[in-house]
Amino acid sequence: MIMTKQSKITASANLDWDVLWERYGIAMIVLIGWLAAYFFVPKFSNPDNMLNVIRQSAFVGCAAVGMTFAIISGTFDLSIGSTLALSAYLGLMVVAKTQSIPLAMLTSILTGMAVGVVNGLLITRVKIPAFITTLGMLFIVRGLSFIISKGGEPIRYSGKAFTWWGNGSLFGIPTPFLIFILCALAGWFILTHTSFGRYVFSIGTNSNAAKVAGVPVDKTTTWIFIVVGLFTGISAFLIGSRLYSAGPGLEPGYELNVIAAVVLGGTRLKGGRGSMLGAVAACLLYAIMGNVLNLLHADAFFQRVAVGLVLLLALSIEGIRQRLFERASRRVLPTAKSESNS
Amino acid sequence: MKNFLNKFWKSYSIAVVVLTVGLVLSFLTPRFLKFDNLLNVMTNASLVAIVGLGMTLAIASGNFDLSVGSTAAFAGCIAFSLVPHIGVPASILAGVIAGAVVGLINGLIITELRVPAFIATLGMFTIVRGAALMYTDGKDLTLFGQTGFKVLSGEYLLGIPTPILLAIGIAILLGFMVSQTRFGRHILALGSNFPAAQRSGVPTSRIIWGIFSIVGATAALSGMILSSQVLTANARLATGLELSAIAVVVLGGTALAGGQATMVGTLLGALLIAMINNGLNLLNVPIFYQELTVGVLMLGALAIKMSKGFKLSTLLRRQA
Amino acid sequence: MNENNHRVLLEVQKLTRRFPGVLALNNVDFDLRSGEVHALVGENGAGKSTMINILAGVLSPSSGSVLLDGTPIVFHNPADAQHAGISVIFQEFNLVPQLSVAENIFINREPTRNGLIDWEKMNRHSKEALKRLEIDIDPRLPLSSLSVAQQQLVEIARALAFDARVIVMDEPTAALSEHEVDRLLDIARSLAKDGVGVIYVSHKLEEVFKVADRITVMRDGTHILTDSTANLDEDKVIYAMVGRALIHGRCPDRSFGEIVLTVKDLAVEDSVHNVSFELRAGEILGLAGLMGSGATDVIEALFGLRDAKAGEINLQGKALAIDNPRNAIRSRLGYVPDDRNKAGSLPDLSVKQNITIGILGRLRRFFWIDRKQEQGSAETYREKLNVRCSSLNQRISNLSGGNQQKVVLARALAEDCKVLLLAEPTRGVDVGAKAEIYILIDTLVESGLAVLLESSELPEIIRLANRVLVFASGQIRGELTGEEITQESVMALATRV
Repeated sequence: MIMTKQSKITASANLDWDVLWERYGIAMIVLIGWLAAYFFVPKFSNPDNMLNVIRQSAFVGCAAVGMTFAIISGTFDLSIGSTLALSAYLGLMVVAKTQSIPLAMLTSILTGMAVGVVNGLLITRVKIPAFITTLGMLFIVRGLSFIISKGGEPIRYSGKAFTWWGNGSLFGIPTPFLIFILCALAGWFILTHTSFGRYVFSIGTNSNAAKVAGVPVDKTTTWIFIVVGLFTGISAFLIGSRLYSAGPGLEPGYELNVIAAVVLGGTRLKGGRGSMLGAVAACLLYAIMGNVLNLLHADAFFQRVAVGLVLLLALSIEGIRQRLFERASRRVLPTAKSESNS
Repeated sequence: MKNFLNKFWKSYSIAVVVLTVGLVLSFLTPRFLKFDNLLNVMTNASLVAIVGLGMTLAIASGNFDLSVGSTAAFAGCIAFSLVPHIGVPASILAGVIAGAVVGLINGLIITELRVPAFIATLGMFTIVRGAALMYTDGKDLTLFGQTGFKVLSGEYLLGIPTPILLAIGIAILLGFMVSQTRFGRHILALGSNFPAAQRSGVPTSRIIWGIFSIVGATAALSGMILSSQVLTANARLATGLELSAIAVVVLGGTALAGGQATMVGTLLGALLIAMINNGLNLLNVPIFYQELTVGVLMLGALAIKMSKGFKLSTLLRRQA
Repeated sequence: MNENNHRVLLEVQKLTRRFPGVLALNNVDFDLRSGEVHALVGENGAGKSTMINILAGVLSPSSGSVLLDGTPIVFHNPADAQHAGISVIFQEFNLVPQLSVAENIFINREPTRNGLIDWEKMNRHSKEALKRLEIDIDPRLPLSSLSVAQQQLVEIARALAFDARVIVMDEPTAALSEHEVDRLLDIARSLAKDGVGVIYVSHKLEEVFKVADRITVMRDGTHILTDSTANLDEDKVIYAMVGRALIHGRCPDRSFGEIVLTVKDLAVEDSVHNVSFELRAGEILGLAGLMGSGATDVIEALFGLRDAKAGEINLQGKALAIDNPRNAIRSRLGYVPDDRNKAGSLPDLSVKQNITIGILGRLRRFFWIDRKQEQGSAETYREKLNVRCSSLNQRISNLSGGNQQKVVLARALAEDCKVLLLAEPTRGVDVGAKAEIYILIDTLVESGLAVLLESSELPEIIRLANRVLVFASGQIRGELTGEEITQESVMALATRV
């Protein structure tokens, strides 16, 4: 959570609302949503069900922690869907062979980081725009998953020690969720208490000024993609454990869900501001939404539409706000252009 | 001499690459050169080429469309579902219109809600796919006995498979539009210098709506051709089409930065990818290597362009 | 030169334009007659750009009116202004590089036949417009293949093809060679002969006196004088441009230490050559010049933001090879950029974070930032520079311009530099904060810092610099020391072509 305490003296009424909404808005929506579901949706209040919702939020959540770094710095990573599949597969492969949980976890994480290194170098050294680089990597890494899995055959492993991570609980709280919270805390700490985190924000808010101020922009950007890969690897491990299996087709559309969660959580696409608390809340919101739609026997396919709609909704708020701002200032011409990539 | 080689490479590099790859493949496997096989390659190329041609317009204007795969599947489903009711030709038209409408919505989101193109189309990517799933309830749509639809894929007009004719026809049409109409020139203006175009009074919003509608329509065509090839339409078709579409445009030489477009290049790019995929097939390389190859090719081509670009830009600086 | 008895084409009455914190135009009156070349002259910030933008339909006035042929007219957008017959040729051209010359001339008005572009007609009309300018460019060529001078002529051709009655040229000769400048002046005169009214905005007085029938001088947003060229000379114009009481006074006496920075034969990209100078501890060396003079490029090259094509730079005897800001900072150079919004402030970050962004390595405890140390450092500099903010955690974008500038300055100081590079340090800063910053800089130099100051504000140069190098067209035109430094003497050197 980025706590820039607003002063009461200089902030206009509008500005106060702005920041409050950004920081706590999504959390409030989650609370309201939870309560509404609790009272109005049958079977939601079942304790097992609610625990399940919390559990579900973690699978998108861990990766969302990493993606938050990218979006705060003004970029994003479209390749995580394939990275997820590859990391999960390799993790399962390792645990099936060695029965070692730590080794499996490490494999998943390192796989994610490796993809991140490639992304980062292509973007900072070869200077291919992030959009195209990560799009290309989305397909390249998926191809790799197919190759390694010899044609897409999912790998299975159901050792109890392994599957506990995705399916078990500690002190009554689903394990994945605990990991998620740990990741979120770690991410929050790095963002707010380390120079790396500070650099991430500075690049997002004004990359030119950051460069002039001496921020190592290229190095930081590469590390950002490595961080994205790292947290995606954690998600991959958890998902693999939850499903007892992994294959190249794991979680289609994953990247969109993660980006949507981050943006919904209050992190602006333009960069410079972000909220880890928001990301956590948004993941919970998505889990609630999915669960409620299930319980209400809504079309499974409608759920996919819902994700896209919510994302566009969240983003159009940013766009509409920009239009109002332009109208308010007395320049005659709009300053925005229809950007195609960051 | 060096100058000539440079210019030659810039304009015709893709053609050279296509020829080289073709030669290599015919060495590696003689089956490649068989007439039936070549026809097959060109038909497959045409499928991607058609949506690639639309994508060329988008990229030339400085934008991208990530929703073409979903739009393709969606249009295929709509068309197939309508055939029993309004017949084949009208259904095909309906499909194209459906695609254009999706594209128009993309354009509106971009200009009215100020959402960047790639995110707007990324969102629509899911929404349209989900809508297709909802519409078909996840089931396949088949047309037993209604072979009329085959006109899109199987039948031959003048001895040439329809998709190839369509691809060439659309390339000519769009190429003509880009070089001879105001709308087409303005598309290039948007990509070349958007603020200047805007300040000169060019109706940028309308042009974007037009561009994305065209992209949607070409995606719809591609989707319907794909469906008619297997006489089945379902909402899960054409995943990955967006990457292929962007890749063929990039490989064909149209610059990512916008401002210039080559339809011929896109056709050749599609041909290249189809040839490579076909070659991989003939060499018994598993099918999933294809996606990998396309991705590597695209990034590789861009990497080469970017490193060349450094030299080009310093050249330009001295002139200015 | 034309007679001044043609009718009034364009008039501006009591034109005023306010921006937050700045009064850019203050009740300005101005008129343009048909058939005349009317020069608009003034320093940076005099209000010329604002007025041009209003005439171009890009900005709307806060109050006052614009009259065309005696009738008041309002522009809602640039297209309105163009339709009314006013064409403005800005320094950043409104051209589309990848379309042809003819297409650029006729952008959005391309002649069509049966829905398709009528190339023959368009090329023909373009050639005619270009011929009027006495140049022979094939209109089918892509615009990007033309030189900058030729592109500028295309912009003018566009105005002509539009049947513009008023053509405004904003600093048109910035990127032109001597020969091209002469050609442009000829074109301006011939346009006027055809009855067009030309507004020629420039600070190059030699050119102005060659081409203009009348000259208007603006200063600080106010209209100072208008007279026919015959009645004026360079001295009178310069005095009108700068003549103001120096409220900040002159720089105090200073004592200098040893030589800290040596620059020899510096050449920056294509714009600057043959720059050599020395800088001592305790000294403030001013680099003065108007827009495009090259002074800013020198500073940017020293900090690694621009390519130095040639030259040696020595800091305290050690040779420096600086190719990026990080290196520069490591070599103990500090920098305050001239455009704080583009390159200085990190808007979403707090005051404290803005100050410490360059020194985070020093504030580390194990692997995280020592918050207490950070607060302490930031507090020290906040006090030193008297930054007015309600808390160090306040977002920097909430501060006034002056305080934001202080924060950016604090950042450079926190990095413990030996040489401080200041580019337009008080741009957009109010008078009170300016004075504070000046006293601050005095104190800094007293303690041994060496300062390189680039500024287009002459009073600022006079107040701070004990020695001044005046730039024009990418070279040093002269050096002034102590009493020699006056607004007139600097401006005289700066306006030399």
